Amino acid sequence: MNAIEIRGLSKSFRGMYALNGLNMTVPVGAIYGFIGENGSGKSTTEKLICGHLVPDCGQMKLFGKDYTDAGVRVRVGALIENAGCFPSSSVYQNLMMQALNLGLLNPDEEIERVLKIVRMEDSAQIKFKNCSLGMKQRIGIAMALLGDPALLILDEPINGLDTDGMRIMREILVDITQTYGCTVLISSHLLGELEKIATHYGIIRQGKMIAELSAKEMDARARVFVALKTADMQKAATLLKGKYPNVHEEEGELRVYDVDEVEEVVEYLLKNGQVVSQVRKNKVGLEEYYIQLMSQKESE
Amino acid sequence: MEQNTLHFESPTFFQRVKRMLDVDFYRLFHTPMFYIFLAIAAIIPAMILGMTSIENADGVVQKLYDNTWQVIAADTPLYAVSDIAQYANMNMVFIFGGIMLSIFIGHDYKSGYVKQLFTTHAKKEDYMISKTAIGAFSMACMCITYLIGTVVSGLFVQASFAVNVWSLLCAIVGKILMSLGWASLYVFLNIIFRKYFGISIVSCFFFGTGILIVGAGALVGNSPLLNVFLYGSSVYACLSGNIWTVLVCLAVSVAWTGIYNVLGTYVLEKSDVY
Repeated sequence: MNAIEIRGLSKSFRGMYALNGLNMTVPVGAIYGFIGENGSGKSTTEKLICGHLVPDCGQMKLFGKDYTDAGVRVRVGALIENAGCFPSSSVYQNLMMQALNLGLLNPDEEIERVLKIVRMEDSAQIKFKNCSLGMKQRIGIAMALLGDPALLILDEPINGLDTDGMRIMREILVDITQTYGCTVLISSHLLGELEKIATHYGIIRQGKMIAELSAKEMDARARVFVALKTADMQKAATLLKGKYPNVHEEEGELRVYDVDEVEEVVEYLLKNGQVVSQVRKNKVGLEEYYIQLMSQKESE
Repeated sequence: MEQNTLHFESPTFFQRVKRMLDVDFYRLFHTPMFYIFLAIAAIIPAMILGMTSIENADGVVQKLYDNTWQVIAADTPLYAVSDIAQYANMNMVFIFGGIMLSIFIGHDYKSGYVKQLFTTHAKKEDYMISKTAIGAFSMACMCITYLIGTVVSGLFVQASFAVNVWSLLCAIVGKILMSLGWASLYVFLNIIFRKYFGISIVSCFFFGTGILIVGAGALVGNSPLLNVFLYGSSVYACLSGNIWTVLVCLAVSVAWTGIYNVLGTYVLEKSDVY
């Protein structure tokens, strides 16, 4: 069973298609990184899943049931665009309203629990409008975590946060998925951050899913390379091209692809009179894969 | 919370509505707006009774109201009013209620809290029912504070309290019952204009004044047919009322509540939330 299964989903606004036959599969327990350019349809997809928008056509299933099923929807926690809190009410009052909305039996205990998870135990009485951006995002997560969510939908939860805020948010997300086993659909432009937590990826472009793969598949696709700089880059390139099949000059450095041993490359150049001034080993990650995929689709 | 289970139990209709009502009542009692409107509802009749006066044909200035209960309801059901004394009564509570409900629902959308509500409540009728109930409750409370304000100010200005108690009771109960119908109209208007907060308030004020029925009354006269409308039956709940008045108010209020709730639910289901 999949947590989210979408087939042929379309949504238009005044004749302009935001989603055009989208297919999406999110396995149960996954942290699904949802990636795409601005206006590609990420937020629209999330709003459709949450029932905020009405689809033109298509099918959406959550845990094998129709997305309008009241039993499933009560187990969906969402942070879409903002926390959706009343600014003049305190953090506690906002959480209490959500706890009542979910019909929780012990709302005070639940509020205490989620505030602890998002590390805001001491901020319950602060008015929402007096919270910082990072705090507001964490309150949004706390709202989404109330009750027993089986699915969390988070729209750009790490955007606008400072480095420490991002780290805290990342730790919270990993913690809740590992501890409580809920499925997370998270959209973000910060691919480096997503790469640290996601178990699956979906890449959307112009309202269509262009790639869906697991982190393992991404790792398998990832190409390792040794990047280096020498005094005579041209000569070094000629030498390396004679020995290795995939040598490219990229971003002011020489990249030798599909090579595991840094020493082997450096030694070979030294033997041929080339002194290496800088060297590092790297791999083509999510960001590079995403850029490649996007430029490939653009040229099609 | 323990490790997540993938067993999904659907809440019953009553559980769903209760949860939504719990949220709305919590919010209502924890925001100053509700208490401010209760105070306004109490102050307005005091101001009307104590401060309004009119110049008669002989040029003598006299009090507009000679009886305290005229501030609660008109003597007879006059749909087309000829002076302010026939118009300015407890029906004004429905205008305040409309404005309050517009602000209440408007904040749902402005804050984005409506997203939380619609994420966890797949059935849109929950929202309509809950907001109607909140509106009706608020207006009923305002009717009571309005009554208190009227009595207190009547004592202060030493106006007459002579009245047929049974008729007065029927008029007050009739007007309180009308709160439900008015609330459903305002919720519906706020759903229609949910993207335009200003238009929501203006439309609630416009319909709350009953101006269309006042106009219709001027054209067709005091026809009992006008009782089928919310303002018509609100006017019908007057100081010459009886049990029949209460029954008419109940029937009209419930009927319009049903109609507006069905229409509002349909609009919410067929259109985007924001």
